Amino acid sequence: MLRFFVALWAAKLVMFINKLRGNLRDDWPGLLAFKICPRFLAYIKKPKLVITVTGTNGKTTTSNLINDFLCEQGLSVSHNDWGANLYAGFALNLMRTVNIFNKTKMDASILEADELTLDQTMTMIEPNYIVVTNICKDSLRRNGHPENIFNHVNKTFENLGNKTVAILNGNDPISSNLAKGSKRVYYSINDLKLNPNENIVRDISICPICEGEIKYNYRHYRHIGDFFCDTCSYKTPESKYFVNSADLNGRTMVVHEGDEYTEYPLISDNIFNAFNVLSCIAILRELKYEKNEIADFLARQKVTEFRETIVEFNGIKYYTFGAKSQNVSAASTVFEYMAKEPSKKDVVLLLDELYDRNHPPETVTWLYETDYEFLNSPNINKIIVGGRMFLNHKLRMLLAGIDSDKMICLEDEDEIVNYVSTEGIEKVYVLFEIDYVTKARKMRDKIVEKAKEKVSR
Amino acid sequence: MKTVEFLLAPYCEIYGEFYNIEYLKKSSDKINIIKSTHKEEPYFVSHHVDMIYMGCMTEEKQEKAIEHLRPYKDKIKELIDKGTIFLVTGNAIEIFGKYIIDGKRKIPALGIFDFYSERRMNDRHNSLFVGDFNGMKIIGHKSQYSMSYGNIDNYFINIDRGYGINLDSKKEGINVKHFFGTYSLGPFLVLNPYFTKYLLKLLGITDSLKFEKEAVEAYEYRLADLLDRIKY
Repeated sequence: MLRFFVALWAAKLVMFINKLRGNLRDDWPGLLAFKICPRFLAYIKKPKLVITVTGTNGKTTTSNLINDFLCEQGLSVSHNDWGANLYAGFALNLMRTVNIFNKTKMDASILEADELTLDQTMTMIEPNYIVVTNICKDSLRRNGHPENIFNHVNKTFENLGNKTVAILNGNDPISSNLAKGSKRVYYSINDLKLNPNENIVRDISICPICEGEIKYNYRHYRHIGDFFCDTCSYKTPESKYFVNSADLNGRTMVVHEGDEYTEYPLISDNIFNAFNVLSCIAILRELKYEKNEIADFLARQKVTEFRETIVEFNGIKYYTFGAKSQNVSAASTVFEYMAKEPSKKDVVLLLDELYDRNHPPETVTWLYETDYEFLNSPNINKIIVGGRMFLNHKLRMLLAGIDSDKMICLEDEDEIVNYVSTEGIEKVYVLFEIDYVTKARKMRDKIVEKAKEKVSR
Repeated sequence: MKTVEFLLAPYCEIYGEFYNIEYLKKSSDKINIIKSTHKEEPYFVSHHVDMIYMGCMTEEKQEKAIEHLRPYKDKIKELIDKGTIFLVTGNAIEIFGKYIIDGKRKIPALGIFDFYSERRMNDRHNSLFVGDFNGMKIIGHKSQYSMSYGNIDNYFINIDRGYGINLDSKKEGINVKHFFGTYSLGPFLVLNPYFTKYLLKLLGITDSLKFEKEAVEAYEYRLADLLDRIKY
């Protein structure tokens, strides 16, 4: 334990210095704690309530909602909301909840967690709840394949057993099969007649139990839907929290829980955020919060600003919209949204990854796993793409059947602003890889400036 | 018509491999694609095929694929000897070696070629390569948990930049007659239009590739970029 206290005190000192410098989001204290004491996460005292949120997509939105609700309820909550979802981020998060004598001084910790390291970290932390939003295809380079992600998350539950309650997406044939030895609480959504497009690469096509074919009564998006195996009994499990009906455009949904039906507001008009809200409702209801309190809270929420921002000029709305390029499922889902959101629009692609720009192991494989075919839609007026991958994007779009007249592919990203339409459209979407929040906003603002120049002339 | 079997398709479509045969099909209407599954006998066992394609798969599925194909090992050998075209990408190549080591486990493979593989699930390797085959520059992507070892005389690609079948090798893949195996995964044929034309020619097809001009432009740009950026 001496080693642990040395780690805690050293890290707390660095944390204090960082605080004086106004730098509260630097992971260095957490990393230092880990270097001194590799089992730091096991020894640090945990608050009474620890909730982990993991999964390929939706964990940031879900954990933000849970954190904000608990804070509104007057709880003191530590949340790693600065994107550090590995060991150092957890160490810093938990360090904030204890004093120098390792005594708890906060009520709760919300841990947004990377899936691949979950088995190493959560086995030590032993959270009360783990919410798994979904398991989908992700970055090839970092995550390999969904089966690999499943194995890591499942090992976590095997290690934790009954110490942790699993909150699982019953519409996901991959993640709903997790945590067989733990208490499982499911949430799912009824048929909303969304008629999603077929993906060129499926996240799961074979039953994990018997290798039969996974089929669907209905799908919401990608592999998420009411599934069943054509040869064994594997199917969508019965859900404790079930969305009976939803009006995505009206931003409401009705959740069937026990004998009651409750209407809850939604934070946006898309199905993936409906799942995020539902997973948040599931965990908050498990914590015994009142339905009306949750509904009141949700009515005041909106999508995290860094993922989606809007500026309006001259009747055109200019959006920045996070798309996580090499996360194939996220990019495909955003492309489908672009096609189905009915407004006439120009789409700007800023999807090259920061890491790829600076390192040789850049891959274009994700282009052929992502459904560029969805962008071949009459409401998309023009697709403009820039950067060193421009010719690869061009070939991929041509093979997806997109008319060459609709696409502008430029080596120099700075040239993009010169090609965005200023009339005949309702919206411009700058789809950005999430490493590039600032760059995307700058690009969007330059596009707006260019439009203003044109009007003033 | 030329028949191309996409062998164990439900196992082997995890990284955009589908686009390899899709690109062949888009390029020529003389190609007929047969997708066979893990629930049935491979199509090549009782039908004539001109080409067999296998792509990358998960490690669990890879072991199942070995067992699925084991009864047909002699037939596979016969087809290779006869000059049937095989394109095998990603870790599917390991199925044709002697065995795969995974920690303390030694998983017997088909034993058609004289090499073995070693899997390390906590050590994902990502890299690109540029190499030569038959006077053509080949571009490849690797993202894998395993490497291969052994005395491979008939390698596929002589690496200029990047790694071969393991970190100490500059020889990549296997080429015996018309068997082409490489660790490169994903849409290998889309990225290498000259090799794709070569493959079509082996099939007896002289059609231009779909969007050949754009495919070659993308290839040339990327080749120059990679030669500039890959330093190892």
